[in-house]
Formats: sequence, structure tokens, C-alpha cells
Amino acid sequence: MADKLLIGISAQTVTAAHWHGGKIVECLTFANDEGGQADFKDFLDRSADTPTHIMVDAVEEDYRFETLPHAYGSDRADMVGRKLKQHYRNTTYMAATLLGRDTGKRRDDRYLFSALTNPDLIADWLQAVAARGMPIAGIYLLPVVGAGLLDKLDVKATNLLLVAQHATGLRLTFFRDRQFRLSRLTRGDSGRPENRTRYFSEEISNTRLYLHALRTMTLDEHLTVLLIDRGDELQEEAAGVARENPSLDCVRLGRSELAGRLGINNELLEASPYAIYLHLLGLKAPLSNLAPASTMVGYKRFQARRAIYAACGALSVAAAVWTGTNLYQSVMLSGDTEYAARQTALLSSQYQEITRQFPQAPTSAENLKKTVEIAQRLRATAHTPQKVMALLGRALEVSPAIVIRELGWKYGVTEIEAEGARTLEAAPSAAAPGGAAGQRKESALIDGEVRPFRGDYRSAIITINGFADRLAEEPEVSEVKVVKLPLNVNPALSLSGNTLDNPEQGGTAEFKLLLVFKPPK
Amino acid sequence: MNQADLQALRNPLLVVAGVALLGALAVYSSGRLMIAARQQLAQQQVQLKDARTRLQKSGDEKDIIVRYLESFRQLERNGFVGDEQRINWLDGLRLANQQADLFGVDYQIGAQRPYLHAAEFSPGPLALNQSVMRVRFRLLHEGDLDRFLVSLARQGAGIFAIDQCLLRRIDTRGVIRYQPNVNAECDLSWITVRVSASGEQKKP
Repeated sequence: MADKLLIGISAQTVTAAHWHGGKIVECLTFANDEGGQADFKDFLDRSADTPTHIMVDAVEEDYRFETLPHAYGSDRADMVGRKLKQHYRNTTYMAATLLGRDTGKRRDDRYLFSALTNPDLIADWLQAVAARGMPIAGIYLLPVVGAGLLDKLDVKATNLLLVAQHATGLRLTFFRDRQFRLSRLTRGDSGRPENRTRYFSEEISNTRLYLHALRTMTLDEHLTVLLIDRGDELQEEAAGVARENPSLDCVRLGRSELAGRLGINNELLEASPYAIYLHLLGLKAPLSNLAPASTMVGYKRFQARRAIYAACGALSVAAAVWTGTNLYQSVMLSGDTEYAARQTALLSSQYQEITRQFPQAPTSAENLKKTVEIAQRLRATAHTPQKVMALLGRALEVSPAIVIRELGWKYGVTEIEAEGARTLEAAPSAAAPGGAAGQRKESALIDGEVRPFRGDYRSAIITINGFADRLAEEPEVSEVKVVKLPLNVNPALSLSGNTLDNPEQGGTAEFKLLLVFKPPK
Repeated sequence: MNQADLQALRNPLLVVAGVALLGALAVYSSGRLMIAARQQLAQQQVQLKDARTRLQKSGDEKDIIVRYLESFRQLERNGFVGDEQRINWLDGLRLANQQADLFGVDYQIGAQRPYLHAAEFSPGPLALNQSVMRVRFRLLHEGDLDRFLVSLARQGAGIFAIDQCLLRRIDTRGVIRYQPNVNAECDLSWITVRVSASGEQKKP
């Protein structure tokens, strides 16, 4: 639990308590004079940078219940702000608390407006706190803080009047359905016990009349009076009040009962009448905070700092967990790696032991096998011009007029070039490195002529085409192209000559055929 | 939030930035360690799998060595495995010329380079190389070409592939006698294989 500084200010005294570990560990009372302020400042110097909650017990307080049209967000804030300024022009310590929705048709919002109408009462004390840079978490009126007592004591009465004797007078606070409705601080004489009983009864009666006048509660309604008796000195007063007012229940809560139900030790109860309220304030701050935004700046920054440091903590924890998980996994993986390495070494040594019985070999078994298989495949797939020569031989037997002058043959990815037959193509050593793409196949370029030729181009071309057709009929042949004929009759080209020329005197019927074989399977 | 608020929160913001930086650094560093450890484990597991497979197949390996070792030695002797044996090639040419009754062979050998069609044989770690030899010779008739090539292959000088050939008839003006009638020119690729050092078998 975070440390807090709890300060209760009244017209006569100031009570300061140090909250630590979920309880008040130190409680001091200072007189509301110069000496008391000096001691108070010394006390503050020991509590630097502790969030401070301030409670005020004064007659200069005001409470108003109002209903406003239901609104949201900035509209609601503007409307409430206007109402506060309208009600309280001379103070900056005011608050509006939304109590709930009205039960009427319009379902208006119900508000409690409260204010400390004499800001000078706390000015010096607040200045002392602010001067030390201590964050002010809130300023509350004592009756609002006292509402927490109902929850702690688990009181279920519909109409409850909480009565407590303070240094400033008698504090009477009325709750209806456990909701704060009214509070009065009286400054009457309560010196002698017999006078005190009458005084208590009168003030309770006055309060009932006032509630009746406000139409908050009728005189006929049953009322429970809860008398806070921290000093065990109001037994007679409680009995007297009950005797004089038969229409109400008067319940006295003595020191031991208060200490037991609130969790406060007796010494603390004896130290100050405000100890009970400061304890409630330490447990839970009420919603009705009178402190203006300018007073709360330090606390907002304090909260932001705490949030940032909390984020730091969360970040550190997350990073530590993440890093730890990573490191744990790294260690586990390293362990697995070492185990695998040991297994590998064991298997390798077993393998080495087995290989001692192997015949001496210059390379691995895989390489031996692959080398031999490659050599076998190279020999098995060797290609020679023998196939094309045999094929030509068969075709020439039925075409005796065809004479082969030149034969080019190639086994490669590309076909033999028709114009390059006079010399071999560039050797592969000059080709681009990186390997050849595509499947290799055989091709041949046949350069020949028709003999004898007596100028009969028609007949010569028929002979050449017949020769080409016979080659094309061979099952191994993929394609036969006539690259050149004795007479170029291509309509796309020009053709010239003289009919007086005598071809019998020296003309030839040359041709070229490109033969492409089917790729090997 | 205004400038004064930022000034008031400067130290906490610096702290959170520092913590975030340190945290990120720690997470990143430990993450890198974990990734490295995971990669090492993956590598080690591959090695373990290889070792296990090698051990399981050690019986097959012995059979392969016994089966292929002699053929491999033969290929080493005829120059297919290892460095090029160009002198053997020339001796082979000379003998083939004599046996095919040719009229002499001119040759020209190019520089060694990776075999262009190696991919057809999926050599794996083996390096296949080729040196192109261009040979020019004259034939009595076309049939001598095949006799010459067969004779050259039988010399045991290595393994070669014929890339291309050109046969051209010589004009003899109709004179019939024992003389060259055909000019021949062929490109032969002498192919060799180099076994990489990593493939050598570890012997005790």
C-alpha cells in the first residue's frame, strides 16, 4: 500500500497522520496558531513527496442537492461548472458529485453540490504543503468522508443520524438509504453531563425539525441515532436521548467496538477525534473532491510519474520474462545440440570401424559408382556420322542421278548451320561457358548436284524433291528442309536469266538439303 | 500535457526510455542466442541424420566399392579419371591413323574447360571437363571415317564424344588410283572427370 499523508483541518486544531502499510502509523495534532504551524512544517519536512489528502471540519460548509438534465461529456461538465460558479462565487473549493438518475420521466441527473465557503481556513496549511512540492491528492469535507463509516459498520437503517462530539462542536450528519443528505456542526455548550444530555437531545430534535422543513424526512418517520463515543463517556447521554425521544433508536458505539470494527488501535482513537475520519480517508477517498485543478497539478504529475514507473516495472518484468524464456530455450537447445553431437560422434566412430573392413578405394563408394556410370553413359550415348551416312546410302541407291559433294554433320543443341558447311562451326572451346540448354540432336547438311543435267530444271527439281522425300520417310528423320534448288522459284525473290543461254554447255543443278534427326529417347 | 508537465516528467520518461532500450536489447540479444542455438541444433541434426544414414548404408557401400572399384581403376588407367592424358590421345591418333590406313591426321587441341553437357549426366560432386580436339585427315572413301573413329575409341586413350564432322569430296578429274578422295574434318570432345577431395573416402 502506498504511503499517504492525511491531514484533518478544523478551526482549532490540525491533525496529521502518516498512512503506511494500510494503516495510520503516526498521528500528531497541531494547534491552529503560529507555533502549531511551525511544528506542522517540521512534520511535513519528514514526509517529502508523499501524496496528501486533506479533510476539513468547519461550519463554513455548504451542501445542495439538485437535479440537472441528463447530459454527457463536455456538455455535462460545462453545465455543472456553470452551476458551481452560480452557487459558490467566493471560493475555489467546491465539488459536484453525481448521485444517480432521477426516477421521474425525464430521468434527470441528481447531483450533490458541496463547498468549503471559507477558503482562508485552510490557506496557510495548504500553502505549507504546496511549498514543499508535496502532491495534494484531494480536499474533502468531513461529513462526506464520514459516509464511509456506514460501510465499515454495516449499518442498514433507512434514516440514520450520525452524532459525534468534535473539538469544534457537535457534528450531526444525516443519511437516508445510506446516502449523505445533510450535516450540521453546532457550537453549543456541552460542559456538564446533565447539560450535555439535554444539549444532545435538543440538537437531535432541531435536526429532525430541519429535515422536516427540507422535506427530507417527516417527524413521524423512524430515526436511528448512531452516537460515536470514542472516549466511552456518553453512556448517560445515549440513555437520556433514548428516554427523551421514544420515536428513535439511539445506538452508542464505544471505544472498543469502534476499534474492533474499524481496525484502529485504542491509542489512536484517544489521540484525536479525527483519527476515525482520517483512517476512513486513508482507506478510500470519497468522490466529492473540493480541490481545484490548479491545486491538483502536483498530484496529477505524481500519478503520471507513478504510472510511468509502474510501466517501467511492467516493461522490466516483461523483458526479464521474455529474456529468461529465450535463455532457457537457448540452454535447452544447446543441450539438445550437444546430445546430437555425441550421437553423431558415436555413429561416426561406428561407421569408421566398419569402413576399416572396406577394400582400399580412392574415393567414396558414391563417387566410384557415379564415375563408372557416367563413363558407361558417355559410351552408350556416343553419336557418329555413321547413321546419316547409312541413311544417305539407302536413299542414293534409288536416286542414281544424285551426287553428294559435301556432307556436314553435327550432334548438338542447335542444328548445323546451312551457310556454314564449307568449314566447321567454331569449336566449343570458344563458346560461352555455363553449359548448353536443351536436348541435343543430330543434324546434317547435304551439298550435292544432279548429274547428268541437261538444262531441264523441272526434271532436276523433281529428282531433288524425290530424294528429299525418300530421306523424310526414314523413321529416325524428324525433318528434311530443301535449303537450295538449282533454280530459285520462290515468288518472294526476283529471278533473272536469258532464254538463249544453253545449260547443256556448262550449267549445273546444285542443291542443299538440311536433315534433322529426332532427338534420342 | 504542457511544457511544464513534460519538464516535471523528464526523469521518469528518461528512465522508461532507458528501461525500454535495455529490455529491447536484452530480448534481442537473447533472441539472437536462441536463433543461433536453434540453427546449430538443426545443423547438428542434419549431421546426425547423415551419420545414421551412412551407418545404415555401410553394407551397401561395401558392395558398391567391390562392384565398381575395378572399373574405376580401369577408367583411371585410360585417362578418363584424373588429369588429361594428352600424350595418350596423340598416341591413340597415331595408331588409329595406321590401323585405318589414312594419309595422316592434323590435330589442334583447345584449352580444357567444364564439359558443356555435364548436366545431362547429373555428376553431383564430380567435375566433368572437356578439351576439344579438331582433327583434319583425308580418306580413301567415306567408310574410312567410321573405321578411324572406331579405331581411335579402341586405343584406350580416354573417352571422347564427336561434336561435328565435315566430309568434302576431292575432285580427282576421274582418275582412279590409290589416293585420297575425301577430306574430313571433325571436332572431338575428350572428356575427363575429376573426383573432388571432399569425396575421398576416409581411411584409417
